[in-house]
Amino acid sequence: MTRPAVVHFPLKKGTPLAASEKKVTEKLTKAAEAIAPIYEKQVNALDSQANFYPADATKDEIQQAAKSNSKILSPYTMVERDLKGRLTAIPYHIKFRDELLKVASLIEDAAKISDNFEFSKRLKVQANALMEGKYETSDIYWLSMKPYKINFVIGPIERYEDRLFFTKCAYQSWLGVMDKKQTEDAILFRDFIVSSRRKVLVPSEKVEFMDKIQIRVDDMLVFSGLIARFMFTSSNLPNDVNLMEKYGSEATIFNQSFNNKFNKRRYPIFLAVFEENFKNSYPRSLLRQGSLRNSYLHEISHPLLRYKDAEKRLQEYFPIFDEISASVLGVKACGSLLLKDIISQKELEAIMVMFIALAFCWWMQYLDESGVIHYAQGFAMALNFFLESGAIRESKGFSWPNFAKLFVSIDQLDSSLERILSVGTYEDAKKFTEQYGSLEIFERFRPILKNLI
Amino acid sequence: MAFSSKKIILTKEGFANLQREYQELINQKRPAVINRISRAREFGDLSENSEYDAAKEEQTLLEVRITQLEQVLKNFQIVQDVQKTDIVVIGSTVVVEINDEIHEFSLVGSMEANPAAKKISNESPVGKALLGLKAGESVEVAISPVKSRIKVLEIK
Repeated sequence: MTRPAVVHFPLKKGTPLAASEKKVTEKLTKAAEAIAPIYEKQVNALDSQANFYPADATKDEIQQAAKSNSKILSPYTMVERDLKGRLTAIPYHIKFRDELLKVASLIEDAAKISDNFEFSKRLKVQANALMEGKYETSDIYWLSMKPYKINFVIGPIERYEDRLFFTKCAYQSWLGVMDKKQTEDAILFRDFIVSSRRKVLVPSEKVEFMDKIQIRVDDMLVFSGLIARFMFTSSNLPNDVNLMEKYGSEATIFNQSFNNKFNKRRYPIFLAVFEENFKNSYPRSLLRQGSLRNSYLHEISHPLLRYKDAEKRLQEYFPIFDEISASVLGVKACGSLLLKDIISQKELEAIMVMFIALAFCWWMQYLDESGVIHYAQGFAMALNFFLESGAIRESKGFSWPNFAKLFVSIDQLDSSLERILSVGTYEDAKKFTEQYGSLEIFERFRPILKNLI
Repeated sequence: MAFSSKKIILTKEGFANLQREYQELINQKRPAVINRISRAREFGDLSENSEYDAAKEEQTLLEVRITQLEQVLKNFQIVQDVQKTDIVVIGSTVVVEINDEIHEFSLVGSMEANPAAKKISNESPVGKALLGLKAGESVEVAISPVKSRIKVLEIK
């Protein structure tokens, strides 16, 4: 199934936007829409190297060429063959100049309308970044500015479409308006989690920027490009670990995308995979809250697990470990929240069962979009680990998870994953993935999930 | 929160804060919300009046809080200001190790608990477990599904 590259969301009733702000969002919606055609030119669902590299170029040939020209493996270049058949790199801002001119002009129009000086400047920096390829300058300005009610992200950002090297960034854009109440709740959770200090294995390699982690929940207006295809419920940027260390990070939870996933996937999965009597003790509202908290916790934990050299050491296994370890650490961190009376036992259980539902949700998404394989594999690791420890037992569905065992298992899994992220070798990551990452666990549930697939 | 004959433990600072909050609710917020309701009534049809609904909802929450504070302020016990002690008491600020994490917080009465400000209730599982311990001592706390070993590193 191929999803459209632009998804619009109706403006939520009561969204507090002044007339000029509405005009700004109209212009930015058009700018977001205009990025989708570039994304379409970059991707190719039938080929793991998408269109970032020539279809006839092998992995070896690309790696060889990159030795004499590092731009071949830059996140921001398209690789083509020159007249002599040699591989050459063309920066995105040159390759897609005509399309980007239109996008930048719409962003500049929005900047002129905006009454907010800081946001207006941000938009100008974004437009310039697209035309000049100065993405870092734009990210730095964004992370340094005060959170503003309108949130607009645009550019080549995520690498999921490059399944050959996980290097090339595909274009995407989103536009949202802050949900103040939910944002306050997420900030409270962030404060609880980051207020404790974790012991880390190799402090010298750990990226520390706990005081610069921002989180917000937005009502979305538009998704375009990669994010429209993947329909993520949250995002954490920037991806560059050096920028993150200096300037911090911002996590965004996407309200409608989350609600959509919860209603259509996560909750129906919960109903399908758990035993009847077990299900009845968890009201839907509690599960929704647990599921939303899984999203917060994942995004808050992400920056806590950044190790400078992890990507280099683990190579293509890095995204698998990076994503699942954030989800696992998030649940583990809830242990101290329970001890401090910040959440109840039932709330923690809801977080844990919705973690299991989320695992199946990623598998189903992988069946639609193979680019999210690392999420599905990561969650397969978790489920296989839990099964092996007896924390969950499978018999026509997970009949009744043993929460005490499950929490111990989460703690152990967290240690194993962080050990690999912090000091593990490529071989360690490969071995762990081979041992626990089999998607067969999901396949066994296919019959009871057939109506949802 | 259930109210019984059990005394509510407050620090001096906590008592002063609750008194201040009570006076503000009675003298400023209550009259303001009554005023908002009467203005909203003037807009007409109450069944379609969102301003009226919002003001009434605010009034309900306000009155619940006023009642809660009145009960606390009738039935409280002030704990003495904590000098540096060698055991954990209500009012102590502690540095503890919970599994592989280091946490720092103050133990306060349940009415003053504010985890965002690192004030944890003496009635929470961690609060109950820590009271009376000395620096260097450990205790195991189990509240399903979490089982943790807590070690007191420092009492400030």
